[in-house]
Amino acid sequence: MSNRLTAQPGEIIDRSTSLSFTWNGKAVTGHQGDTIASAIAASGVDVFGRSMKYHRKRGILTADHWDPNLFVQVGDEPNVRAGSRRLEAGMVVSTQNVWPSLEFDLGAANQLVGRFLSSGFYYKTFMRPKFLWPLYQKVLKKFAPGGRIHWETSTHDAYDKRYVHPDVLVAGGGPAGMGAALAAADNGASVLLVEQYGDLGGHLLWGDDAQRAQGADLAAACRAHANIEVLVDSTVTGRYDHNWISVMQRSHDIAPERLIKARAGVMVVAPGLVERPYVFAGNDTPGVILSGAARRLINLWAVKPGNRAVVMSANADGDAAVADLERVGVEVVAVLDARKGESIVSVEGKSRVSKVALSDGRTLNADLVVTATGWTAPTSLLNMAGDRPVYDATAARYFSNSLPSNILATGGITGDGSTAELEAHGRATGVLAANRALRRRHDRVAQTARSNDPAWDKPAEMADSRTPLNRVPHPECYRSTTHGMVDFSEDVSSKDLIQASKEGFDSIELMKRYTTVTMGPSQGKLETVNAAAVLAEANQVSMAEIGTTVWRPPFAPITLGALAGRIHEPVRRSALQDWHDAHGAAPLLAGQWVRPDHYGDPMGEADNVRNNVGLIDVTPLGKLDLRGPDVSKLLELVYVNKWSKLDIGRVRYGTMVAEDGVVSDDGVTGRLGEYHWLMTCTSSGAGAVWEMLEDWLQTYRPEWQVHVTAVTGGLTSINVAGPHSRTLLERIVEDVDLSADAFPYFSVRQGTVAGVSDCIIWRIGFTGELSYEVHVPSGHALHVWEELLAQGEDLGCRPFGVEAQRILRLEKGHYIVGQDTDGLSKAPTAGLGGLVKLDKPDTIGLPELKAAYERTDLPILVGVQTDDPEIVPEEAAQIVDGGSNTILGRITSSRMSPTLGRSVCLAQVDPSLAAAGSSITVLLADGRRVTATVQEHHAHVDPEGARQRV
Amino acid sequence: MSIRKEHGNVSETTFNSPVDIGPLSAPDGSVTVADAASTTKVQIRGGADTGAAAELGVGYGRSQRRADGALVCGTRPDEWTIYAGAGQASAITAALSEVFGHFQGEPGEGFVTVIDITHGRAMLRISGSNATAALNKICNLDLSDELTPDGAVFSASVGNVGCDLVRDDEGGQTSFLIGCERSFGKFLFIAVADACTEFGLSVPHGWELHGH
Repeated sequence: MSNRLTAQPGEIIDRSTSLSFTWNGKAVTGHQGDTIASAIAASGVDVFGRSMKYHRKRGILTADHWDPNLFVQVGDEPNVRAGSRRLEAGMVVSTQNVWPSLEFDLGAANQLVGRFLSSGFYYKTFMRPKFLWPLYQKVLKKFAPGGRIHWETSTHDAYDKRYVHPDVLVAGGGPAGMGAALAAADNGASVLLVEQYGDLGGHLLWGDDAQRAQGADLAAACRAHANIEVLVDSTVTGRYDHNWISVMQRSHDIAPERLIKARAGVMVVAPGLVERPYVFAGNDTPGVILSGAARRLINLWAVKPGNRAVVMSANADGDAAVADLERVGVEVVAVLDARKGESIVSVEGKSRVSKVALSDGRTLNADLVVTATGWTAPTSLLNMAGDRPVYDATAARYFSNSLPSNILATGGITGDGSTAELEAHGRATGVLAANRALRRRHDRVAQTARSNDPAWDKPAEMADSRTPLNRVPHPECYRSTTHGMVDFSEDVSSKDLIQASKEGFDSIELMKRYTTVTMGPSQGKLETVNAAAVLAEANQVSMAEIGTTVWRPPFAPITLGALAGRIHEPVRRSALQDWHDAHGAAPLLAGQWVRPDHYGDPMGEADNVRNNVGLIDVTPLGKLDLRGPDVSKLLELVYVNKWSKLDIGRVRYGTMVAEDGVVSDDGVTGRLGEYHWLMTCTSSGAGAVWEMLEDWLQTYRPEWQVHVTAVTGGLTSINVAGPHSRTLLERIVEDVDLSADAFPYFSVRQGTVAGVSDCIIWRIGFTGELSYEVHVPSGHALHVWEELLAQGEDLGCRPFGVEAQRILRLEKGHYIVGQDTDGLSKAPTAGLGGLVKLDKPDTIGLPELKAAYERTDLPILVGVQTDDPEIVPEEAAQIVDGGSNTILGRITSSRMSPTLGRSVCLAQVDPSLAAAGSSITVLLADGRRVTATVQEHHAHVDPEGARQRV
Repeated sequence: MSIRKEHGNVSETTFNSPVDIGPLSAPDGSVTVADAASTTKVQIRGGADTGAAAELGVGYGRSQRRADGALVCGTRPDEWTIYAGAGQASAITAALSEVFGHFQGEPGEGFVTVIDITHGRAMLRISGSNATAALNKICNLDLSDELTPDGAVFSASVGNVGCDLVRDDEGGQTSFLIGCERSFGKFLFIAVADACTEFGLSVPHGWELHGH
């Protein structure tokens, strides 16, 4: 049976279109302009879903964004608000939270035990015994409401973000909001006008002819204004410090949802009012709707909401609903005037209202109950600005108390009035908003370094001389003589709230958390005032004494994906990474850097370095150019060793510790000139070291003349390692004597490599072999890399990756800060020994270093070999005390050594086990305990350094 | 930088950019993204007590194009950057060393250093009537004409990459130069190109934000 009416004067559906979709597998059609709910309702459907806890049948209640009964699954998208989501052809729409079907839902059995599922049921029932918590978790997950996400098959597009900086942001596109936007824009402000629904107009859209015409005129003016950007189908979801305002834009071409981060000079809050339900027995039965829902269904979508109606009206909107119903042929069998104390007592019906009991004792047959019992002021955005609204018993709703100067309110949230009065108040607010925003903008332009001085005078401050809107008296209609649903989303009844109060949860904040009232998707828009009223009744105090809960962001639930937006996770690439990719390198993401892990055979690559020569791209190595006469002072401060006597052309290894004496970074620093040094540090620590240096120079030692420039990416670093490395470099280095005498170990030279000048050549190494590190201006790095490979072809020159480097450095016993040390490893643990100079006048962490070297209980980093050479303990495997589980250390690095044909490790051990020859027990991940022996040196290969000092 | 020729065609102008793709434009020309990594970039640092500020003649946050075409930018309160055509680093550095005298960190009255950062910084240019809107999808600063006029110099996060930016309009058309640490260059180009897709720009396969 179709409920679609003949053409209505203000309908927004396009009857020339036919959009086919499915509802629970059944083919349905609607029109362009329909919401999902209006199209389904037009097809004759009464029941849209089941409630969360009791699985009671539910139908349309508000027919808008806040409708708690209209959450549906659309394709792979859960929790779609059918009351506001526009219909699209091809949608696959289904009910959520039912099994096996909407009509026969086993979860409805909860209604039979409803008296046991009252407030605090979970807290009371699932606390004990504790060992059953995992079972409870599994069972309760089965009952979790909401739709389902299908990760594997999801075709959902990426979300999006955007930043805007309007002078004035207007939240709400009703008559007051549009008036405010127009006035602000006319007064020179840039305006972002945000409307939650699909078109501007607010309640005028479903009003009479005159109201619709007024709304259309205002909307057209807003859209035509050069200073106004209009966003429809968008919600202001939060207000944060300094008017950082989040806006969720839906249905944009670029993405299903877009988070707009707005920094507004002034926000005008004009959300209108939200109609609240009336509490009585059966008030959640399908067929019980609010007056706004009835008017929207009829006037916007030409849907007949029922055939025989009982209407309870406490205001003009309820009266207007009666007129609308009668106009479209609904038989209104009773109109109860709440202003005279008339009310509904209860309704009966399962899938639809069938009988209605009235306060005068009558019981009427009806399939539709319409209530118009008052309004909730959605003050969330005001609360987020620090406001604590105050209840006005005369108007039966809350009003704002105090607002900061960059927040203004207008429209229904501040009072009542005709369309003209609302618009006028909005315009006055817009003028004031523009004044405040332009004064702020003037200050910003004047104070911002990148802008020119303002070419206009700062406006004089304008006083707030707006004439307040009236507060029309309204009866306090909250609950009948029976109990009914207060929170439709959470299935919390008035009886539950009174019970909670009796149990001691008698403050509004406690009651909210205990019963979860107002914590559902509508976030209190429909429930807060009724909940406060029921609690006031239970506590026998006034509404004003009850107060309100604190409304925090978001104003409306936000899709998590929209918060993430498009994922910007920067990846750093060396100038050679494209070459690595093209030559089969397995990528390794190390921090932000993508690096070549290996080229297919890491063991072979390591072996080639030991026997021939290899190249590795070590560009991520942190590099800081230091210039100035006070560089050596800075180095003395940040390193644990001494630096003042390092000659030009020489290199020194240094370790940094933090103020607590914990090893923080290490690397080599070379002196390129009298006042020019190049510092290297770990890849992961480069940023922190740079910040630390700048911190000292800018804050603690501003008198020192040192300039630090990060050059990590500008100098591509190529490590040339292996016994043939000198031979190879001699073929392409033109102006540097590479002989051992002229260019000894731990030296640095500047020269020309493969025709590229301004290269820096270090004789250092991490592999234990004769090796050089060539730093090349990155724009020419590929040329140098390819020349090295070409010139070294007959020498067996091959690239090697990070894994081979890790093998080689472990064979050599070089530790890695952060892997072989941790957040507690002080200098003695790292085995720095004589490197640390405690007699220096000042070094970061010096007092802690002195204390650390007096201790005998710190763990010690040692070389370790398992007694079974085939066993490679996992990194982080525990070292334990024999057969017990007492932990005495851990393996920090481990690999199979191709050079030695056995496993090699570094480990942190208790000092009692640090002596060479000590036997230790390693607990493997599979539970086995294996023995290992502490070595004399960290280095497993060439501990004397003969191979690298040739 | 002097380059010897024996080892191939290396010169300052044969410069490998981190972005090996030509300019991308929306069909209507409303936004274009183009690599500019080979731009010469020379950094000058010197405090307020040096002659650098007076000599360079540009305050923090502003830029000025010299007669020779070089763009002098007040990058930070004690730091300037000169942008010029490719291959001019040696000439610019030499000229500045003559001006300031105290070069490479030598002590004296006024501590000024000059360093060629051409190879250390990636750079791109985004231009067109939709350039500002596209950039404001991944950069949270107010880029309106009044706050960020032609010539404005500022630092900001662009697609989560720390960048130095210059509003450098061309032919009356809005244009921004965006520089970042070189290793972020390809990601930055991808992020900026992705932001432009809303305005009709098509991104070639392999250059998608979620596919790089």
